[in-house]
Amino acid sequence: MKAICWMGTGKVEVHTVDDPQIINPSDAIIRVTRTAICGSDLHLFDGYIPTMESGDILGHEFMGIVEEVGSSVTKLKRGDRVVIPFTIACGNCFFCHKDLWSLCDNTNPNARVCESMYGYSGSALFGYSHIYGGFAGGQAQYVRVPFADVGPIKIESDIDDEKVLFLSDIYPTGYQAAENANIQPGDTVAVFGCGPVGLFAIASAYMLGAGRVIAIDRFPERLALARDYCGATVIDYTDGNPSIVEALRDLSNGIGPDSIIDAVGMEAHGVDAAAIYDKIDQALMMETDRPTVLRQAIQAVRKGGTLSIPGVYGGDLDKLNFGAAFGKGLTMKMGQTNMHKYLKPLLDRVYAGQIDPSFLISHRIGMEDVPQMYKTWRDKKDGVTKVVIDPFRESGIEKLRA
Amino acid sequence: MAESAFQTGEVRFPKTGGTWTPLPNDTSGNKVRSHAVQTINATPEQIFNVYSRIELLPTWQEGVVSVEETGANTLHWKMEDPGTRAPVEFDSEILEAEQGKRHVSRITSGPSAGSTVILSLEPHPAGRGTMATMITDATVPGGWLTNAITAVVSRRPQQITTENLRHLKELIESGEIPTVEGQPAGRRGISGKLKQILLGENMPTPPGTRENARPEDMPTRNLLGSTPSKTLTTIGLIALPILVGTVIWASVSGDD
Repeated sequence: MKAICWMGTGKVEVHTVDDPQIINPSDAIIRVTRTAICGSDLHLFDGYIPTMESGDILGHEFMGIVEEVGSSVTKLKRGDRVVIPFTIACGNCFFCHKDLWSLCDNTNPNARVCESMYGYSGSALFGYSHIYGGFAGGQAQYVRVPFADVGPIKIESDIDDEKVLFLSDIYPTGYQAAENANIQPGDTVAVFGCGPVGLFAIASAYMLGAGRVIAIDRFPERLALARDYCGATVIDYTDGNPSIVEALRDLSNGIGPDSIIDAVGMEAHGVDAAAIYDKIDQALMMETDRPTVLRQAIQAVRKGGTLSIPGVYGGDLDKLNFGAAFGKGLTMKMGQTNMHKYLKPLLDRVYAGQIDPSFLISHRIGMEDVPQMYKTWRDKKDGVTKVVIDPFRESGIEKLRA
Repeated sequence: MAESAFQTGEVRFPKTGGTWTPLPNDTSGNKVRSHAVQTINATPEQIFNVYSRIELLPTWQEGVVSVEETGANTLHWKMEDPGTRAPVEFDSEILEAEQGKRHVSRITSGPSAGSTVILSLEPHPAGRGTMATMITDATVPGGWLTNAITAVVSRRPQQITTENLRHLKELIESGEIPTVEGQPAGRRGISGKLKQILLGENMPTPPGTRENARPEDMPTRNLLGSTPSKTLTTIGLIALPILVGTVIWASVSGDD
């Protein structure tokens, strides 16, 4: 089969590899009908997530048709149409029983590696480094899905793939971000980053009762979606605004947003001295992540407010004013998405017509286009807001917006 | 009974607490002592049943080729180093086997005679299943040196205790042991293969309930309901450091 392989920092290639096989009895093999590049794949592309190995098959947003199931699988059969959550969970450990599916005890074959870096290991993920298990990902024509009775959600209607594909990650991740923001009716919520997760976080914040959502980014195509589809008041932080903290104070009647969602993570950009410091610090390997947004969020949120962090962080941060977080009595919630908890309720919102998750797709591409599109999106060119891949189409970039 | 301990309204002070005693985790001479602790979502009896089934030992312990009963309380083990495939054989005996509570076994032959493994099981006070503690006290040629070197080239002896109890938990809770062995990948190249070794991914995952497990190792799927064997031991889990230690110590000694 054809698969997208990580071959080093800044190097993604299309390779012909063996088809996946059933290995454990709970496995299923899925023929992938649609997959996507996630913003967090760009962290892998840029080499900021440790423990990637040459040859790793990328991709954790995918859906498809069940081709084969292992001997213990009872809920799926050949021919079923499914969306696969990017976190792999066993369904029977303490954490799964507490709805903390992304912290499952029993799915990471490299738990010892994660333990040495983080103390304890979370669940395995598809296509997202060996600290998270080293499972082959779904930017491929076929993929092996462990614990197939636990994760995949069946799509039992003829709804388009693209309307349900993002249940695999960014839609639930944005929703959990809003849920973690502890939104009360009428609250003001600020969202840093209008990439796919940020856009779904904006929409989800309104679903959960926010009165006003303020969105911060620098790319016009993203800000347009945040404003015109999701209903946010947008700020372009490169547009001569004196400071984000001041802008957010003014927009929240002087007290700061009740909640702030950091949908940017470890590769933040900025225009102030701290952002330049982070660039240098990271280049010198004095810190693994650039916490530019996190610093601003801690400053900007109101006293007693909540910071929700769906943006991915990988390791050590430098010069983070934790005293400010303490002094203002902040609550912070973060982590990988507990996917399994959200699949059904968020699918129901799609069926009910509340949201069409395909709104943010800007490009449809074939397999041979993928390496170039990683670069294009990394460099924020060509108006990319979301890239969807047909793994059985060789090439041909279809641009959905002018 | 356990619930009453958490009825906070009835708490009165002064209330006597306790002092923590560290579990063994050290090397001294040729002795390597280590421990692992897990909370397993099953009853102590269910865990004891899986732990004590001889035919299951190769499915969750690393490096076990086969285990045969040689007497009422004695076993003969064949193991191999996951990296080098070097074989080792030894005998073991059961010292204690109290269903659902405690199990102690000891190696009786070879250079590591006297090495012991203790498994203790206790119901979790908050109803989370069972607290399982595994303590190994192994005679390992090379002692601390073996521990240090194998941390790079193979499994650190103390890590083996951790991995074995982890695999037991995974098998009991989820019905299998997670693995990526045999999955497709692009060209690994030198750097990819080197990283695999550095991350310990060159160590084979025990087969669990995999389809390709050796037939004689295949458990029934209903692991928890199985009847325990009369002969019980997992002493083999400390044989790997012994094997690795022997190989390393022999090579170091040869240079002298």
